[in-house]
Amino acid sequence: MAIDVATAKGKIRDYIVQTSHADANKIKDESLIFKEGFFDSMGFIMLITFLEEEFGIKTVDSDLIEENFESINAISEFIQRKSQG
Amino acid sequence: MSTLKPFTKDIILLENVAAVVENIIGQMRGDVLQRFKRNGAVVGISGGIDSSVCFALAAKAFGPEKVLGVMLPEKDSSPDSEMLARELAAKFGIMAIKEEITGALSGFGCYERRDEAVKRVFPEYDPASWKMKIGVRQSGLFSNLPPIFYLTIIDSDGNVKDKMLPARDYLQIVAASNFKQRTRMSMLYYHAEALHYAVIGTPNKHEQEQGFFVKYGDGAGDVMPIGNLYKTQVYQLAEYLGVPKGIIERTPTTDTYSAEQTQEEFFYQLPFHLMDRFWYGFENGYPPSEVAAVMGETPERVEALFRNFERKRNTTEYLRLPPVRDYYHG
Repeated sequence: MAIDVATAKGKIRDYIVQTSHADANKIKDESLIFKEGFFDSMGFIMLITFLEEEFGIKTVDSDLIEENFESINAISEFIQRKSQG
Repeated sequence: MSTLKPFTKDIILLENVAAVVENIIGQMRGDVLQRFKRNGAVVGISGGIDSSVCFALAAKAFGPEKVLGVMLPEKDSSPDSEMLARELAAKFGIMAIKEEITGALSGFGCYERRDEAVKRVFPEYDPASWKMKIGVRQSGLFSNLPPIFYLTIIDSDGNVKDKMLPARDYLQIVAASNFKQRTRMSMLYYHAEALHYAVIGTPNKHEQEQGFFVKYGDGAGDVMPIGNLYKTQVYQLAEYLGVPKGIIERTPTTDTYSAEQTQEEFFYQLPFHLMDRFWYGFENGYPPSEVAAVMGETPERVEALFRNFERKRNTTEYLRLPPVRDYYHG
């Protein structure tokens, strides 16, 4: 089932802002959330759990690459691909 | 203009080990005897390189008759740990006692709570005969993504399965396992207080700065004589002090989970001889390109590595801080 892109990005952004305790204005769709230090290892594990529960996807080892998680845009595209595939 | 020495692979080697040892034992005497007014030292000995070097330093600082070694095995500990610890104590003529902590850990529900989380991930897991461990995947350290923890189980026939750990299960396994380090520290303080001794903390520089310790567990202690030494330097001290070869040649393990597990696979993701040199470059402000050229890496990968180091240092600051108490300024 396709997931609405704008809705998905909104949910991901809300989650990141809420759990990283970062200034909401600093987190843009293209912000590099790991490179810029918004999330640590625990944050990454929790993000994966959130995405699986919120969007009903299942993450496998080969998914754990920077291109899939580096920004809200990347995460949104990743869950679109997973939900269609 | 930079005043840094050119980066080389030998840059972290101690040039005068004897002088470093003399300085450390002089400071240990000053802190423990004069400042803390304690009469000697208690050291938890695991048969690992760090606690062995601390034990040998304590023997030199206070004399063998003023040091107590405590072996603290539990049911998941390797039998090698006790054998090597006994060999160490005999070598330095120090009394070593054994405090088996399995009963205390069972009382805390350490094993039960851990196994409950393991079974949520692998319902077929049989704690009576299977082994388990958690660890990180090696490829992550040069990436901008933080590492993800995996749970590995090994059945009684040696068949291995692993799976990425969900947050809730990871946290419960770590929290339950940390009873081990905290129980050990409680026992060390019992003996230290009963003898009016100080507890020697045994973390090295990497454990301290990267947060590879349990807060109020193995991260506790009154003095930490090797807390500012790289692992390579700890090995230099071990050779100088005459630590038994079996300990020097042993691969550093966590000795925390029932399955064999090296510190590299659990946490560091790099062999210590590489980690030491990259960390030296990072903390002394060397340009990634200079470190990369010496270490045979690309500047981009070293930049990512340094970002990982920075993140690790920042996110583990909480572990190193004492309780914050400056809430009232009246």
